Amino acid sequence: MPLDVAAIRQEFPIFERKIHGKRLVFLDSAASSQKPRAVIGALMRVYTHSYANVHRGLYALAEEATEMYEDARAKIARFINAPDPAEVVNVRNATEGINLVAYSWGETNIHAGDRIVLTELEHHANLVPWQQLALRKGAELAYIPVTEAGQLDLAALPPLLEDGRTKIVACSVMSNVLGTSPPVTQIAAMAHAAGALVMMDGAQAVPHRPMDVQALGADFMAFSGHKMCGPGVGILWGRSELLEAMPPFLYGGDMIRTVKRDYAKWNEVPYKFEAGTPPIAEVVGLGAAVDFLSEIGMDAIHTHEQAIVAYALARLAELPWLHVLGPGPYERGGVVSFWVDGIHPHDIASVLDEEGICVRAGHHCAQPLHERFGLAASARASFYIYNDKDDVDALVDALHKVVRILGR
Amino acid sequence: MSSDLYREQLLDHYHNPENFGVLDNADVDIEMDNPTCGDMIHLTAHLDAEGRITEVMFEGQGCVISMASSSMFTEAIVGKKPEEISRMGLPDIQEIMGGVRLSMGRVKCALLPLNAMKQGLKEAGKL
Repeated sequence: MPLDVAAIRQEFPIFERKIHGKRLVFLDSAASSQKPRAVIGALMRVYTHSYANVHRGLYALAEEATEMYEDARAKIARFINAPDPAEVVNVRNATEGINLVAYSWGETNIHAGDRIVLTELEHHANLVPWQQLALRKGAELAYIPVTEAGQLDLAALPPLLEDGRTKIVACSVMSNVLGTSPPVTQIAAMAHAAGALVMMDGAQAVPHRPMDVQALGADFMAFSGHKMCGPGVGILWGRSELLEAMPPFLYGGDMIRTVKRDYAKWNEVPYKFEAGTPPIAEVVGLGAAVDFLSEIGMDAIHTHEQAIVAYALARLAELPWLHVLGPGPYERGGVVSFWVDGIHPHDIASVLDEEGICVRAGHHCAQPLHERFGLAASARASFYIYNDKDDVDALVDALHKVVRILGR
Repeated sequence: MSSDLYREQLLDHYHNPENFGVLDNADVDIEMDNPTCGDMIHLTAHLDAEGRITEVMFEGQGCVISMASSSMFTEAIVGKKPEEISRMGLPDIQEIMGGVRLSMGRVKCALLPLNAMKQGLKEAGKL
């Protein structure tokens, strides 16, 4: 069943406004998505009707807030097929989730001479925490290279797993620049056979396709609520035996069981990792986002985005001066990064902005990947449930304008 | 087909920059880049006995805003003293660029030549 995009747009109040007098064409959901009424309403309901701090109060309102907060955690767990809601840790964003693992698990388990394997297509969020951990520990950092076609060169992995020094492989489930979906299930199986864990960055995948952390064989997965119609909150999922064994990341209230003058004991997971007052309304809002997306259907969303990206690649192929990074429409997520001969991506974005079209321009937090393709920057259009072919047509028309104005 | 930002004047400077090149025996010689977007400028300048800027040239690569700003900047600062350069800021650059109004995201591009010149004067001991 195709998505009723017109009806979906009605659910997003932001599409009622104009940008520079033009219809808003929002093609930057890979950076952060827009918010539907269901999520905005959930935030309103928490703050106007059910707000109090969670896990502490002995009064009805606090119990109600706690219930809403924990219900949302359970919804989020079901959304990614986590076996237990206690494996779902609420954090600030995917970046914080990966940092939690790099500090808590990493400080305990990575030693001098160990190896951490990344891929060349990682977002800085799944790169810099590991790079810095390796530097602190004297560990080796190795990268699975990206081919010219934008795919991982998986032949590079077995030699990195042979000597048993690799302790963790950090890999994105979908590249935020290329739209490539690395074979994470295969990578996880290979890593596990060599005794290594796998940290999956799900920031670009979880909002756009059905997610099953167990089927993928992930040990940890981080993703961001704000990229999936939710508020600014992130999720770290981890296998419970790993989370149980890990020391806390942040210390303070709520994460303790008991505190004495000279020592403290930690609360159970996930609370051990949720120090201080959590983002209560935001987590409830993410629960509402999960309901909203589930009602549309994650399979339908994935199919819709595949159709749009195929259409976009076909239309962009009409422009001989435009070059697209990454693989073809098959197995490509809803992002298309491109560059135009002789025109800086920032100038492309500025001209598109005048037409009400929002695209990202820059390195999209993937500098090593751009370096690999010999580029300082690119422009990126990314698609979500509220995008349709008319947005692609608007983009192509405006790209003609870019070249008319800025071309020689 | 027109653009508020990319007016003729800026595009002229972008396509046919003034003072494009490198000065020999320069008193100020500085390279600066903006790694997040790949803009790069190499500025060279001659100063007279009183410390006034007599000649400036630039070379580099980048977006329309950084390159047009650089071209117009090299024209505008001849005759200025280092202290005058150090007092310059975004409003001066926007005025030099014909009163263009820059969005927050483009300010860094426009300020590249000014920041490079300030740094170059410092490194040359003129500030």
